[in-house]
Amino acid sequence: MLILHACMDDDALWETRPVPVSPSPEGVFIINEGNFMYGNASLSYYDPVEKIILNDVFFNTNGLPLGDVALSMTIRGNLGYIVVNNSGRIYVIDLETFELKGKITGLTSPRYMHFVSDEKAYVTDLYAKAIAVVNPQTYEITGSIDVNNHESEFYQHSTEQMVQVGKYVFTNCWSFDNNILVIDTDTDQWVETIEVPVQPQSMVVDANDKIWVITDGGFPGSPFGHEAPTLVRIDAHERKTEKMYQFDLNDHAMSLAINKTKDTLYFINRHVYRHPVGSDDFPEIFIQSTSPADSYGGFRALGVDPASSEIYVGDAIDFVQPGIVYRFTPQGQPIDTLRVRISPGNFAFKVTTP
Amino acid sequence: MPFRFNLYNLVKNNGNTLIPGFLFLFFVLGSASFSGAQTIRDSIIELEEVQVRAARIFEKETAGMKETRVDSLVIRQKLNLSLSELLAENTPVYIKSHGRGALATASFRGTASSHTQVNWNGININSPMLGMVDFSLIPVYIIDDITLKHGGASVSDQSGGLGGSINIANRADWTNTRQLSYIQGVGSFSTRDQFLMTSLGNSKIQWRSRVYYNRSENNYPFINRTIADQENGQLVHPADTNKHAAYSRYGTLQEVYWQPSHQHMVSVHWWGQMGERGIPRVISFEGPDNTNISRQKDQDHKAVARWQWYRDSDNITIRSGYAFRQLDYTLKNQISGTDPIPAVDSESFQQSFMQYVSYRKEFSQTLSLESAFNFDHHKVHTRDSVTQTGYKTNREDLSLFLALRSRLQKRVNMNLMIRQEFRGNEFSPIIPFLGIDYMVSKRHPLVLKAHIARNYRHPSLNDLYWVPGGNPELKPEKGFSVEGGIRHQWKPVGFNLQSEITFFRSDINNWIIWIPSFKGYWEPQNIRRVLSRGLETHAKVSGKLSEIQYHIMGTYSYTQAINYGDPARWGDESYGKQLVFIPQHSGNVLFNLQYKAYAISWQHNSYSERFTASGNDISRRNWLYPYYMNDLSLAKEWIFEKWNLQAEFKIYNLFNETYHTILYRPMPGRNFMLSLRLDLHDRR
Repeated sequence: MLILHACMDDDALWETRPVPVSPSPEGVFIINEGNFMYGNASLSYYDPVEKIILNDVFFNTNGLPLGDVALSMTIRGNLGYIVVNNSGRIYVIDLETFELKGKITGLTSPRYMHFVSDEKAYVTDLYAKAIAVVNPQTYEITGSIDVNNHESEFYQHSTEQMVQVGKYVFTNCWSFDNNILVIDTDTDQWVETIEVPVQPQSMVVDANDKIWVITDGGFPGSPFGHEAPTLVRIDAHERKTEKMYQFDLNDHAMSLAINKTKDTLYFINRHVYRHPVGSDDFPEIFIQSTSPADSYGGFRALGVDPASSEIYVGDAIDFVQPGIVYRFTPQGQPIDTLRVRISPGNFAFKVTTP
Repeated sequence: MPFRFNLYNLVKNNGNTLIPGFLFLFFVLGSASFSGAQTIRDSIIELEEVQVRAARIFEKETAGMKETRVDSLVIRQKLNLSLSELLAENTPVYIKSHGRGALATASFRGTASSHTQVNWNGININSPMLGMVDFSLIPVYIIDDITLKHGGASVSDQSGGLGGSINIANRADWTNTRQLSYIQGVGSFSTRDQFLMTSLGNSKIQWRSRVYYNRSENNYPFINRTIADQENGQLVHPADTNKHAAYSRYGTLQEVYWQPSHQHMVSVHWWGQMGERGIPRVISFEGPDNTNISRQKDQDHKAVARWQWYRDSDNITIRSGYAFRQLDYTLKNQISGTDPIPAVDSESFQQSFMQYVSYRKEFSQTLSLESAFNFDHHKVHTRDSVTQTGYKTNREDLSLFLALRSRLQKRVNMNLMIRQEFRGNEFSPIIPFLGIDYMVSKRHPLVLKAHIARNYRHPSLNDLYWVPGGNPELKPEKGFSVEGGIRHQWKPVGFNLQSEITFFRSDINNWIIWIPSFKGYWEPQNIRRVLSRGLETHAKVSGKLSEIQYHIMGTYSYTQAINYGDPARWGDESYGKQLVFIPQHSGNVLFNLQYKAYAISWQHNSYSERFTASGNDISRRNWLYPYYMNDLSLAKEWIFEKWNLQAEFKIYNLFNETYHTILYRPMPGRNFMLSLRLDLHDRR
């Protein structure tokens, strides 16, 4: 009877496997979100010179899964800080060896990390109603910035991306919200609020200290409102909206990024759009998506290499199979297509210091 | 009476809020004269009854339909478990379980959980909101009879069972006069089970009441491979426990049966249940302790009243059913210095009113007719008080059914069924079923069975109206199935063998899946076509070797469920691949030996690998390796003059294996359950 018994070999899953050393100093990290509650987030690494893609570099190096929903990665020096949203932690890795160097834990639902200095960084959060202040060298949480909005009937404020102009950090509040918060980095206090259209999704700052924001407009039936997505320009010093482009109600704009010289915007509105910051024209389609409108998947993540201004676009297809990353020249010519892992959602670029 | 005192205590411990006072009175007054017991021997008698019924494997009413009835021995053995565990371990139905005590959904023949229709005493209990059933919430204890209708056979009860249907029912025991039975279970992880059943009646009227209370801390230990702490330059995985996973469930089933004459039979059933459980966080969570805490509360009331009238060759059934379901889900976080505040606080209320009338006529031994009419009204209101999203809607379903069954020759039965439905204002296309049985041999009953059928499943109310994403333009899922098989039975003296093998092919178009579009949120689309092919076998052997009674039963299934959706989407690797979470090979076996007052059972259950990625990518992180599970149970019975006691010791996960059924959800290692059962009864 017991012949039928065969051991389930769980240990074999967790063995480390050697990851080839990348010969080039340049590199692109692709943060694959994975599926919510599946714990299958992962990290891919791409060598743009040799055109080599390495998947699962974190897991293979450390014998440890990245966690549940890896959202973003911030690079500082030779370390990478990977924010793992639903695992409530940030993993710190060595950019060359992918080895785990440490972790910042105790975060409620972390989204993005922004360095104020070598000793101080901010971590935004979906649910904490606070921005965590962390010490990236000791991996400790040193404080928090209260962003609780007692006046709203919605769960506010959740905070997302961050940009800095002078001593002020600007963060967008996306979930059932329409605000950009201004944080004073000297006092670690929320000092001002800039109202924008519904659901600011992403932000960049250009060479002229202008903050550009994409709002996605919410969704049909949202009690917070559903409106057309917009591209908004805010003056970082005046803290006022100066310019606004409005798309169609059925559009879905997202993933704003900027090039090396900070004079050209890129974003996704089903297709990839490009918009020079000085232009008064309505933004135009730059790279056409071949994915049909009534189908699934399509472009959902965008990154612009700060060294080369090359464009990387992620497509999760059905979100339950390895996704694809397309690489284009700054002129929009395709260079390479990479098969990565489930739900490529963000990019981090290893910049070589000259 | 030595046991009266114990009994009283047992009842009291069971939670006095649940037991009406008159029950107490009844126990105390009636306990003196209880005698006899529901014993292992009785279950064999029952078993034989089932087999007698099963001997009629060649009936025109079921021609071409594959029906399997779960052995009463199995029901008795799994009394303290959920229906999900019984289905997984003893039937070809694949159960996707999210953990011990957690959500468990069922899949027949590679189809989706919403393609399994579930009926309780004739009324459909699939959630009108979600389309599916959580089998972890159905205790085996409230079930007397489980019949599976595979594939097209489910058309006889309703549409939508593209995979099949699971019919659970209660039945009256007209031989009963007084009976009482109590089970107390104590198990690992602070698991406590209490079940109490009492019944009273005569040949005209029967009343039976069941109450139960199950709870578990569910805090089993595991090594957390998703967390690493640095210790002396080494990565160390901490010893962890399954947190925030406690569950409790209590409920009652009340039944009254009345047969004023041979022509009439009336019954009323009410099943009420309250379930509460924590939904554990992902095990890789390293955030603050009081954050990311999810809880779910399920409150259910189901009631059905039925009147049946018989006269010679006519039968009328009128049935009225009601199902209420309230589902509350919260996700709470403690943020600086406050009490935990909800980030998600959703409440859904689902109500269904179901009316059914049928008329059957047996014109002759060779021709019968069945006609039925269903009218169901569903109301759903769901709302999240944090995001303030939700929807409120009603739906009416009307269904007409006609079946013509005939014995064409001595060896051929034919079964033609037609169903016509109206949903809202729309006519659905006709659902036809044609089944044929051919009796090859009468001596050793051997029957060839085959059918061809069409079926539809309508989108659930969430599919249509969920905010955001609900898609009112969705089309029904369309299934076309053919199957053929052989059923065999051999019963020499003291030995019984039954076996069946079925080959099936089911082609489902407009399969609905939720998928993110370029709009950024998930929405359901009719994008898949799934071709599911395979075979199901089961066999059952029982008999006696000198003093030892043996029962051996098992199933094996081979399932190829392949996605043939539109391959036009460039880069999509899911085309031509096995659906996620569907094992190609699955099987189980149960050995049961009884010697005098002792019994031993071994249960084995296995699945081949399952994919979690639609492209069947087998990167280690996304892979569920083959699953082999073994449980062992030992039982001993003490028979006294007026009462019986049975003790059973069960070992689950006998070999203490580390395994997963969902990615990164730890499952319990070897664990134990001791249960004591006290029986008192009177039989005419």
